[in-house]
Amino acid sequence: MDFTLSEDQELLRDTARALLAAECTTSMLRAHIDDPAAADPLWTHLREYAGLAGGPLTDHHLFLEELGYVAAPGPFFATTALFAPLLGTVDHELLPAALAGEVTGTVALAGTDGRWRANDDPVKTFVPEADRVDWVAVVSGEPAVTLLRNPPTRLVRTVDTTRRLFEVTVDASGSGEPLPILPEELESIVEWATVALAAEMVGTARRLFDMTLAYAKERVQFDVPIGSFQAVQHKLADMALDLERATSAVQFAAMAHDAGDNDRHRATHVAKAAAGAAATRAAKDGIHIHGGIGYTWEHDLHLFIRRAYGSEHWLGTRAEHHDLLAEELLI
Amino acid sequence: MKLGWGPKEEAFRAELVAFLDEQAPPEALVQRDFDSIEDDSGDIIPAWSRKWQSTLFDHGWMIPAYPAELGGRNCTPIQTLAYLEEMARRSIPRSFHFPGYAIVAPSLLEFGTSEQQTLAPAAIRGDTVWCIGMSEPNAGSDLAGIQTRAAVHDDHFVVNGQKVWTSYAMVAQKCFCYVRTNPDVPKHKGISLLIVDMDTPGIEIRPLRHITGAASFAEVFFTDVVVARENLVGGLDDGWRITQGSLAHERAGLWVESVSRLEYTVGSLIALARRRGLDRDPVVRRRLAEMYERAASLRALGYKGFASFAQGSSAPEHSFMKMATSELGQECFELGVEMQGAYGTVVDGERSEESGRWAHSFFVSFASTIAGGSSEIQRNIIAQRVLGLPRG
Repeated sequence: MDFTLSEDQELLRDTARALLAAECTTSMLRAHIDDPAAADPLWTHLREYAGLAGGPLTDHHLFLEELGYVAAPGPFFATTALFAPLLGTVDHELLPAALAGEVTGTVALAGTDGRWRANDDPVKTFVPEADRVDWVAVVSGEPAVTLLRNPPTRLVRTVDTTRRLFEVTVDASGSGEPLPILPEELESIVEWATVALAAEMVGTARRLFDMTLAYAKERVQFDVPIGSFQAVQHKLADMALDLERATSAVQFAAMAHDAGDNDRHRATHVAKAAAGAAATRAAKDGIHIHGGIGYTWEHDLHLFIRRAYGSEHWLGTRAEHHDLLAEELLI
Repeated sequence: MKLGWGPKEEAFRAELVAFLDEQAPPEALVQRDFDSIEDDSGDIIPAWSRKWQSTLFDHGWMIPAYPAELGGRNCTPIQTLAYLEEMARRSIPRSFHFPGYAIVAPSLLEFGTSEQQTLAPAAIRGDTVWCIGMSEPNAGSDLAGIQTRAAVHDDHFVVNGQKVWTSYAMVAQKCFCYVRTNPDVPKHKGISLLIVDMDTPGIEIRPLRHITGAASFAEVFFTDVVVARENLVGGLDDGWRITQGSLAHERAGLWVESVSRLEYTVGSLIALARRRGLDRDPVVRRRLAEMYERAASLRALGYKGFASFAQGSSAPEHSFMKMATSELGQECFELGVEMQGAYGTVVDGERSEESGRWAHSFFVSFASTIAGGSSEIQRNIIAQRVLGLPRG
């Protein structure tokens, strides 16, 4: 049971951290609210890492954690955590181009109930980046996969300004024959993406936590830093616990998927639920400890609070994953 | 990053398993929500456990990281983790009295004179039962506030005062006793550590029944108790730093026991839900899943902390484990009581669940968030030592 990062993994993480600190600033996130093209320069850097989608989740998840730390917008998550794994499963000829970062894509699966399981609904929901990627892979109820170019989309505005989600109307005149996929293969792709999202969420939670810890050390009231008050210290201790256990749970889930271990289904639900607990606690207690300044539009905190809640409600909430976990535990 | 263990660790584990299959007594294989509390026989330290502890020692399986003369086999940290994991998985207790092997022996080996160090093997083997004289009526979380005085004379000390919550005092031969030797300096700087024989005249022990009705700890009163100078451990007035000592090389793996016990409790909760017909209840299902989520993530956190420890870094992960496992355990037992409705508090009769196990364990669990550094103290430690926040 070895949780040690290899030197290559440490290098990957450090490289991502440095790149994103420079290329994914909060001013870019703000520009992206009105103009999604503001994130295009970021993709020109990130596309070099699209190949992570073809490797172990233990590597990929480290990179995604750093993307969550900066609430990165753009097609990286959709392409590497959803689209490329789906192409790989159906053995699609576009896979090499996707792994090379030459084409972008997304996956439309959830129906109107918002849950990521096969269905024949004519409108697919919560599809990331659907209007700007090269391909939309639609999964129908059989299940089967059809690749569409520029299907009709409608932006679904959520509290999260950093991740753009869409409704996609499935056009029956889609190009090409539907490619069949086994239900368990589809389940595996959704689980993979769920762990990937949980990794992102751990990064977002860590950002919120870091901002809050730094603020508690510098903000002075009653002539002392507010971080010296026990009530504030204990909140931060609880935030730290949730963050650390989520980080570890996500890492374990990534290891379980790479090993094809039987525990991977349970580990997926544990990871997403733990990441949800960490991210929403970091958001709520984070803004509380920031006080009034955290409530302003000008302060950057809300960008990450938005991301935290947006992610909690995507690919299954904590409660939904508890229900799925209960299915595993209590059948 | 890799799931599972390497072939060397698995070979080591196989050796342990072979020993356990051959030697472990049936009493050691009974699953418990807590150990070291009480045995069905009512003995604080049942006879079988004394024999089992000496068997472990004699075969080098008591403290595997120690050399053979101290009940070990010079194990590496990862072997120690595999050992603790296997013992916890089977819920096999090493001992029913932890102070001797876990606190006294390592402290004597680190801080004691060569004469004092000769006491270590018997402490680890369990031949000598030790108690720890720490808490006092006015020194609980504020441990450094102890007032039990030891007047310093040329060749001896004279101890007067009172200790409380002293586990095993009524069966112990020796006490690792923290006393105030200098009242005129800041409180951390006037504390010394003495080895006190429990049969010394002037010591009175009053067993203290706790909330479940059992008595595993006591009040200990000291009236003009004379202790020889050579029983001072470490320097005069330098006892505080020894309070921090415990099995440093096992600290990175001790969480395994708490986590395994949690997982066992979660499994029992699921079985209880089935028996009570609540396994289709959506509220109960979510709560069970949440308990499972938290226990599973704590196991992962423990392993992650071990990885840092094995690489020689400090492992802040372990600061979280005591607080998190004790609080989650308490919530699990509370849920077990809740699920039984009107029968939640019934402790006997055929309609009770497991003879009142859930209510009993819930009550016992109140101690877990108080003893050994309360949850509030743990949060202070995390905030100040791990997160670097200033002291209030």
